[in-house]
Amino acid sequence: MGVWYIIYNLNMQRYFQFSILSMVFTYLLIFIGGLVRVSGAGMGCPDWPRCFGRWIPPTSLSQLPDYIDPEKFNLVLAWVEYLNRLFGALVGFIILITFVLGYLHFKKSKHVLLSISVAFFLTLLEGWVGAKLVDTVLDPITITIHLLLALIIIGLIIYSSIQSYYLIVGNFEKSSNYHPHLKSVIVGILVCLFIEIIIGTEIRGGLDMSRKDNPLIESIILLKMLGPFKYIHTILGFSLLGLTLYLRKIVYDIKFRSSPFMINSVNSIMILIVTQILLGESLVFFDVKPLMQLFHMWFSSLLIGLTVSVFTFWKISLEP
Amino acid sequence: MIKKSYIIFVVTIISFLGISATWVISKANDSIEELPSIIKKVPDFSMTSHTGTPFNQDSLKNKISVLDFIFTSCPGPCPIMSSNMRTLYKQYKLHPNLQFISISVDPEYDTQDVLKLYADANGVDDERWKFLRTDMESVKKLNKEGFMFMSESLPAGHSVKFVLIDEEGNIRQYYNGTDKGSISILRNHINSFLKNFSKNA
Repeated sequence: MGVWYIIYNLNMQRYFQFSILSMVFTYLLIFIGGLVRVSGAGMGCPDWPRCFGRWIPPTSLSQLPDYIDPEKFNLVLAWVEYLNRLFGALVGFIILITFVLGYLHFKKSKHVLLSISVAFFLTLLEGWVGAKLVDTVLDPITITIHLLLALIIIGLIIYSSIQSYYLIVGNFEKSSNYHPHLKSVIVGILVCLFIEIIIGTEIRGGLDMSRKDNPLIESIILLKMLGPFKYIHTILGFSLLGLTLYLRKIVYDIKFRSSPFMINSVNSIMILIVTQILLGESLVFFDVKPLMQLFHMWFSSLLIGLTVSVFTFWKISLEP
Repeated sequence: MIKKSYIIFVVTIISFLGISATWVISKANDSIEELPSIIKKVPDFSMTSHTGTPFNQDSLKNKISVLDFIFTSCPGPCPIMSSNMRTLYKQYKLHPNLQFISISVDPEYDTQDVLKLYADANGVDDERWKFLRTDMESVKKLNKEGFMFMSESLPAGHSVKFVLIDEEGNIRQYYNGTDKGSISILRNHINSFLKNFSKNA
């Protein structure tokens, strides 16, 4: 019995390790995806899944197939985009292993199994959306869907990961008894974050459109020409800070006996929101630098992950 | 209290990602802004524009030009090509150093009046987009020898390429005039040429 329990526990731990690996690699993939976007490499390979008809992108014009216009070939952009696809395939494979381990060892936990299953199927869908992005020559709505799907996937992986950790080590939140407002505040933050991200992609898309219509005009001037979206983005950003300050207040209240996981996550959310406001405002007031845009997007994905973590800690605290 | 090792870890990760991303972005920017090399010089030619003004190889000097071959009664790719050209024409309205040239491959039908109507239909209201015509033999010669296109089955078998010509009258690159992806690359190259052009001016 003892030996079986150890093996059972080891298998569960293996699932947890793979879910962490899935999370880290998915975050790296979101970063690389953002890098493809800001470096203008989205159409680096004009076909999908191959690149200029090859499984290894061409290194010279002579390797191009006849049916693809040669002006589309840019060695750097082709490799940036292709590395993104290769890394995407690797992440898909890691999530597949995590899903299989979840199916084998967490059949009885619907929290773990359902979330990793949905994450896995959304990952397949994400690959298909990636192909559509190339077909539609980077249609702005498809780009937004591509990002939103990635955020949902990362949220599900994190949820599944924490739930499996709870089943392995026991209820690490059992002494916590959180404030009745906590759930509403977390859900509020999550909803605001998603709205912020959608508005952010609208601003980004609008900037791209405006850049096409006004070539060679500084991005900072184009940004000023954009509509009220950017003000809503800022206002909502400060509202998020307000919500997070309240969240921090109720989590820090000694009578609720918050876990260190909860406290550290909430502090990280606060640091990230302040960083995001500073980054966003510097994009408006100084210059729209691609690197800053990239981190602005990536930090928003970290915020989603942390908020989902906080939600999961709260949910586990309700368990016996 | 957040541990010092945690802060060091986070700073290291962010720095690593930031440095790598900066390197990739700068390589990508350099590759996008790199000007395509000279393919060949546009040979001498002489044509008349839809407004009746003469246009020849010297008219290509000191301007960046985007050129295509079309005919106004074309049912096939020409409307898409002209629509894409129209979009570029509108987008670059603030850049008089960039001109658009559409040469008719059916000069018998495309008289100056017809070209004028076609220009009006495309919203041309300044000198930046010119519709040119000459005799059929000269068009065929320019099409084949000047731009290396097939000219056996003109007008129907004309090329759908847009040609980017520098301020010295050199052909620099060909683009598929019916393809969004190609047009987007053309836009990048136009921007690089215009930036370069204004630097040298």
